[in-house]
Amino acid sequence: MNQTVVSYLSQYEFYDSLLALFGNNQGLLAFTIFLIVALIIVGLCATIGGLGTYAERKISADLQQRIGPNRVGPYGLLQFLADGVKMMTKEDVMPFTADKMLFYLAPMLALVGVFATLAVLPFSSGFAMADLNVGVFYLIAISSLVGLAVFLGGYASNSKWSMLGGMRGASQIISYEIPVTISILAITLLAGGMSFGTIVGMQKGLPINWFIFHNPFAFIAFFVFFTGALAETNRAPFDLPEAESELVSGYHTEYTGMRFGFFALAEYIEVFVVCGVAVALFLGGSNLPVDIKLDIIPIQIIEVVIFLTKTLLLYYVVIWIRWTLPRLRVDQLMSVCWKYLTPMAILNLVGCAIWLVVFNGKSMADMVFGH
Amino acid sequence: MFIQILFGLSALLTIGCAIAVAVTKNIMHSCVFLLGSLIGIAGLYATLGADFVAVTQIMVYVGGVVILMLFAVMLTGGKDYVSKAQNLLGLAPNMGNKWTYTIGLLVSLVFILTNVKLVSSVIKANPAKTFGNEFPSTVNQLGHLLVKDHVLAFELSSVLLLGALVGAAIIARPRKQ
Repeated sequence: MNQTVVSYLSQYEFYDSLLALFGNNQGLLAFTIFLIVALIIVGLCATIGGLGTYAERKISADLQQRIGPNRVGPYGLLQFLADGVKMMTKEDVMPFTADKMLFYLAPMLALVGVFATLAVLPFSSGFAMADLNVGVFYLIAISSLVGLAVFLGGYASNSKWSMLGGMRGASQIISYEIPVTISILAITLLAGGMSFGTIVGMQKGLPINWFIFHNPFAFIAFFVFFTGALAETNRAPFDLPEAESELVSGYHTEYTGMRFGFFALAEYIEVFVVCGVAVALFLGGSNLPVDIKLDIIPIQIIEVVIFLTKTLLLYYVVIWIRWTLPRLRVDQLMSVCWKYLTPMAILNLVGCAIWLVVFNGKSMADMVFGH
Repeated sequence: MFIQILFGLSALLTIGCAIAVAVTKNIMHSCVFLLGSLIGIAGLYATLGADFVAVTQIMVYVGGVVILMLFAVMLTGGKDYVSKAQNLLGLAPNMGNKWTYTIGLLVSLVFILTNVKLVSSVIKANPAKTFGNEFPSTVNQLGHLLVKDHVLAFELSSVLLLGALVGAAIIARPRKQ
């Protein structure tokens, strides 16, 4: 098992020559590699987040029989760059009565919370930045910073719309964390570990070995997780914190320019991260469908491509849901969470535990094909 | 080396934010600085090798306690609580009279002495004593301890939490007319 990307690369020969280049300073080389990989991953994910806004507009246009952005670049692909430039050149307005410190802090907190989750996202078996043995738990914990940022952004703007949006956001994120966490706990139980390396490593081979098909309870847990994750990332039909028909645009009403851009980018990257977590936990992660013993860098790249493909397919589903379903009411939102999703998640957890005891840890595929 | 630098940074974050919590006059800002201090403590745990405890610290305090505190402050007045009064040192908001400070001083003395006593026993103990490598990670070790040695405390605390949940539900429920 590879603990970090550095320990993965250290098994190759070029690592030794790099080490000589750095004057045999292990720590400095590790730091440099981490820095480069972090820059690559953050850049990649920021681009995916930016393209997410383009995909959102294009797919929504498709669903509504419109054309969508088509002016900037081929097929309007560079629209997100144009938007970015526009945001950076805009005037940075702050409301006169806003809480200055918190107003500046909130967008950064949102981005920090999202970028910190990228550290454990398993892009492939070797290229995940760090395979912590508390990986999933770390991801749940650090992503709660985003909820805090939503709340602080709403509070600091000192505006009624923002305040309502922020309060809705905080209560929604805290509530939906519970079914999501319990669903993840069920998978942790099946895998026998919280590190993404362990969880993804258990799902090698054909799709029948994925955790979503491990037993009926895990199958339901996937949908509980996915619904809860939609709500945690404030996506429709759970986008009450920014419900534009009632709250203008919720917690980021007062934000302009790049500060608004930070919130929007954080939301799109968080959707990507959540889809990536769903892929890693339930849909086989970055595993190849065939078992290849060879461990060379091209295979790692194929794994990254597989992971990104699955994740972006889920991303498409998220956007599709947003432009298909109407928004819930606040009381419906809370009753969905506490009266349906949470009991279902707890039953799934108990069901998975009983399944493991009764069938001796075998999955449905093991029992059908008998190996 | 790297770990030591990170430990130092975490310690600085913890102490700096803790001072800011006491010094700042806006109670919302205090809450946010408290958040920084708690994250710093998580960093201390992480650099000392207690990864599970570090993540639990972030999970419980950042994800739960601080958001609840912010909620409570906001619902009970929020930034109207900016205090203009000064205490003896002219630093913190005025939070009591001389008796408060005297008692606070005595209590903190007791705490400091207790901590010195605890830490001294740790320093005097044989530092080579470790738990052996029978567990692959701290998570496994904690799990074994929780369901083997400390299973009674574990179950009792779950009963306590269930009681708190039921109590909260009863308090929040609308009364029957």
